[in-house]
Amino acid sequence: MSANIENIKQNPLNDKQLLKGRSKNVMQKYGILLVLLFLCVLMWILTPHFLTVTNLVNIVRQMSTIGIIAIGVTPIIITKGIDLSSGSLVALVSVIVASFAQGNYPLLIPILMAVVVGVAVGLINGTIIAKGLLAPFIATLGMMTAARGAAMLYSDGRPIGGLSESFKFIGQGTILGIPVPVIIFALVGVATWIILNKTKIGKYIYAIGGNEHAAVTAGINVKKVLILVYAYAGLLAGLAGMTLTSRIASGQPQSGLMFELDAIAATVIGGTSLFGGIGTIGGTIIGALIIGVVNNGLDLMGVSSYWQQIVKGAIIVAAVYVDSRKNRTK
Amino acid sequence: MKFHKSIVIILSLIVSLVLSACNRGEQVAGGSDSKKVIGIAEANMSNEFITYMIDAMKEEDKKHSSDFEFVYTDAQNDSAKQMNQIENFISRKVDAIIFNPVDTVAAVDIVSRANEAGIPIIVVNRTFDGVDKATAYAGSQSIESGLIQMEEVAKQMSGKGNIAIMDGEMGHEAQIKRTEGNKEIISKNPDMKVVLQGTAKFSRADGIKLMENWLQTGEKIDAVVANNDEMAIGAIMALEEAGKLDEILVAGIDATPAGLEFVKNGKLKVTVFQNATGQGKAAIDLAVKAAKGEKVEDQIIPYELVTKDNVDEFIAKYNK
Repeated sequence: MSANIENIKQNPLNDKQLLKGRSKNVMQKYGILLVLLFLCVLMWILTPHFLTVTNLVNIVRQMSTIGIIAIGVTPIIITKGIDLSSGSLVALVSVIVASFAQGNYPLLIPILMAVVVGVAVGLINGTIIAKGLLAPFIATLGMMTAARGAAMLYSDGRPIGGLSESFKFIGQGTILGIPVPVIIFALVGVATWIILNKTKIGKYIYAIGGNEHAAVTAGINVKKVLILVYAYAGLLAGLAGMTLTSRIASGQPQSGLMFELDAIAATVIGGTSLFGGIGTIGGTIIGALIIGVVNNGLDLMGVSSYWQQIVKGAIIVAAVYVDSRKNRTK
Repeated sequence: MKFHKSIVIILSLIVSLVLSACNRGEQVAGGSDSKKVIGIAEANMSNEFITYMIDAMKEEDKKHSSDFEFVYTDAQNDSAKQMNQIENFISRKVDAIIFNPVDTVAAVDIVSRANEAGIPIIVVNRTFDGVDKATAYAGSQSIESGLIQMEEVAKQMSGKGNIAIMDGEMGHEAQIKRTEGNKEIISKNPDMKVVLQGTAKFSRADGIKLMENWLQTGEKIDAVVANNDEMAIGAIMALEEAGKLDEILVAGIDATPAGLEFVKNGKLKVTVFQNATGQGKAAIDLAVKAAKGEKVEDQIIPYELVTKDNVDEFIAKYNK
């Protein structure tokens, strides 16, 4: 893996090298896929209730919020950044969207608000980071605190209810039997996969993560790319907040607590390197599913909540360890 | 140049924010020396229940605004922060402290510091071992809500059935005491047993998830008893989606406006009202008396059972 980073560092925009990097990422993806399959088989052996259609649909729906956020965080982490503000942004979007989802506004208005608020917060993060004013960790840590405060201020610290039936469709409805949050999760996944794999911006994102200086030298507008990446993550966190709000039929300033860490965990489990330059959307989705399967399986077995936390922590560490070992041996 | 500009803009923004925040603090805290000062240390102003309690306090403190000043602080659920805020009150020599503890273990120590400084300290909302050392307590007995809730559930189920207990944030005083109350009643009913127990962290979203997962266990559940209304509503939403709300009774605690709505439409069978207004008023009342040097006694504000039969009475309380 480190050799791989070296390659990119020496020659950031060499297509061949990038391709080599990507093919290695594919291996990484399958490694983590095996972990997911193994966990599924384990849960299936341990509890007969795991492998039912309803339960599998539940798992994907339950993970869709974190999954959408994680898909937005993945490009950020590929550029060697981090976003700690997504959980608080979910809360801020939640209360604002809820206040516009009451009464007679057409459905488009709350959706637009989610997009506007999400992108605006992302743009602030991105601008501060791209201009080099603050490191991503600090900039988004500040935003995490401020956005939570803004959510409290906007809502008086109280939940906002009375949401319209049409708005509830986003989180509670189904299309052809598939829950809408799962559809949003899938669409966001496909769109982001295309951006990362089929566009110039995607190529730039990997290049910046590989070696930012080299990327600048190669003529990439690093600032612009970084701003876009953070704005995009804001957009997705906004969509996640909207979906969650609709799902629970209530805008809550307390929602989204620790979501940023779950999203980062999903991303890292999925093989994205915190050192930048490496990561795939497929991996992140599988990472999110691993967390979902573990949560769900432990609930099904009636494991006590104290043990659940310990087991979850151990599985996160073990999954990444197994994956990195597999990489090394190949 | 550009760089400089943005730094200047950000800095000036921060400075103006801080200044305006200070100004607001000054208005509350400053003023003439003749007035007595009461310091109010809230545990967490982002907790819905506490926001209602503060509303009542601010309503009540207006009555005394000619002789008293009221300084509100928020510990944001951080025990260390609360300790600092109380220390500041003590060094400022306020005339009384209203104390809404974050941490019911550290609370004992905080009370004894106020005692050493000779400042009356009124504990509000959350009780703890050693609360008798405080000047007075205004609030309810947490365990009582769990008892009332489970007693009514047992009554509605004729004393038999499988219970699933939805815990709040583990280790939180309300979670410990409410569940303890639940189990005390269950142990008195030999035909009732706890078949599932798990935490949904007081959150509706987690309540939905946990209920969805419980429904997949194949375990027969007759009632879901949740530590608060938000989780109960989450359970109701998951049950409705699975078409099983008719078979399973759901109970909550808190009687929040959203909770009452679900009681009103018959989906939430039981909730328990904790009187935020009563607690807030009583706390201000006791603190004012104590600051004047009058003798004060604990004021226990009872919990009240809410079912469909009396729900309108409680809805009216919020609509005032």
